[in-house]
Amino acid sequence: MEVDSQEQLQRKQSTYLSLDENFEIQKEVYRGQQYSQIYFARLHMMRTLLYSLVPNWKSHLPVCTVLELKEGKECIIFGTLYKHMKLKPCILDEYSKERSVAPLIKPHNFMHQDDYLVLEDESGRVKLGGTKLSPSVYVTGVVVALHGKETSAGAFFVEDVLEAGLPPQIKRPLKSREDKYVVFVSGLSIGRSSSNPLQFQLLVDHITGHLGDEEEQGLAAEIVHLVIVGNSVEISRGLLNGQNLASKDQSRLCEPFKELDILLTQIAASLPLDIMPGSSDPANFALPQQPLNRCLFPGSTTYNTFRSCTNPHCFELDSIRFLGTSGQNIDDLTKYSEAKDKLDFLERTLRWRHLAPTAPNTLGCYPFTDRDPFLIDSCPDVYFVGNQEKYETCLLKGLEGQLVRLICIPRFCETGVAVVLNMRNLECHALTFGTQISS
Amino acid sequence: MATTSKNMNVFYRQKKKSTTSTGKKSTKSPSPKHAATFGSDITQPPALVSHGGSLDLKDDFDEQEQVLRQFDMNMAYGPCVGITRLDRWERAQRMGLNPPKEIESLLKGGKVKLESLFDGRV
Repeated sequence: MEVDSQEQLQRKQSTYLSLDENFEIQKEVYRGQQYSQIYFARLHMMRTLLYSLVPNWKSHLPVCTVLELKEGKECIIFGTLYKHMKLKPCILDEYSKERSVAPLIKPHNFMHQDDYLVLEDESGRVKLGGTKLSPSVYVTGVVVALHGKETSAGAFFVEDVLEAGLPPQIKRPLKSREDKYVVFVSGLSIGRSSSNPLQFQLLVDHITGHLGDEEEQGLAAEIVHLVIVGNSVEISRGLLNGQNLASKDQSRLCEPFKELDILLTQIAASLPLDIMPGSSDPANFALPQQPLNRCLFPGSTTYNTFRSCTNPHCFELDSIRFLGTSGQNIDDLTKYSEAKDKLDFLERTLRWRHLAPTAPNTLGCYPFTDRDPFLIDSCPDVYFVGNQEKYETCLLKGLEGQLVRLICIPRFCETGVAVVLNMRNLECHALTFGTQISS
Repeated sequence: MATTSKNMNVFYRQKKKSTTSTGKKSTKSPSPKHAATFGSDITQPPALVSHGGSLDLKDDFDEQEQVLRQFDMNMAYGPCVGITRLDRWERAQRMGLNPPKEIESLLKGGKVKLESLFDGRV
């Protein structure tokens, strides 16, 4: 085997377009506004949209507001859903005089069979009855149109529900392309005692072409982009208890970043890289999380291939639209509703055209006044979520010919699995790295 | 509560209906200095003055302020707390709600309060 071959392998390239402007909050000014503003923006945008869809759904019925409801009159109402949950943690529970048996330790899911849904618009709210809308599927913050009538008890009996459905998708130019791959990895958790640096080093070596023979390197040369989807570092809890740190501890605080920077520099020298913040990263808590500060990566930021991005992150590669989050939105849906798998949650957020419907109710969110940046206007081609338990993927087909690849990216620290997507046909496969040498 | 002393006298006059009330008024012509008391001639006693000394005389009577308050209270343009009136107007404009143009000219022109009526009170 020759060490230096005749031709040098060139990595394939793709055009990158960042669409994160909507998620940046540098221009926002906080004037003491409350969350009612973002709910108003959400209701207005979604209601306009749903109103245009109603003629195709049930054109013969009148539309009215919640206060205009009359008993027995069949009509359509628009509003934001609110789910009243018995087990939802409430700050007042801490001040309750009677010590109830219910423990203060929160369960992973707050659903209860007594949960009920309420529909709210600017004029008022009405409790929803009937079996069409299942409280286990919906969460607070989803805007829907409902067909039904008011009962004598004052509730609204739901006969049918209209969700916004998948947004329209911009058609990709159909031309036979070559294979170009995008790699997704999340939950590196560098700094956690159980994280194995060799695993990520293997991934880096594979992507940069330092592993394998020419054929292997040829495959690696077809990787055009890497996206790191959140939770890249984990700082031990003991260092974050609010006390002043000794100098020994201060250096321990920085170690995960130094390690990450060394690895990211190796990657950035080789191919374009996007890094998104996650729940354990040093970024702001409320969504949309702002890009990780460039000072954390002194080595990598010297390369123009290194991009620090927001969470949620939206970008285009060769006019294929990617949209994804580091997992907080789906994890919150898991706590307040149920589905057969995480892909189901992903599909629901697309059908509701909202990335994080539970924000700001149970998910931290910036109080925007004039817009709701989580509304999905255009259907992405690839929709991903990071930091999940296992790798899952499916291809979602919409009624108007939309085609979306849904991807759940597992935590690399725990599974050693990264996800590789082929941009030519949107096919996905897992890339597993193991460091156990079996005897 | 912003009744002037003259109004207070009218009120008492109706209640008592005796000549002594009119007599009372004539004896009270040198007005006392601190006047949150009855029969005072000072229209705005110091106790009711706030906002750094500027008298809030226009509060109930200014037509422009009334128009703007109606704009604040209109539910169609969303909540008014925590956002300036002009920002709220511009947001309504961007959303296609067609807010009246007079409000914009009022806000950009004259000496009106730029904050909503709940500013500082909620």
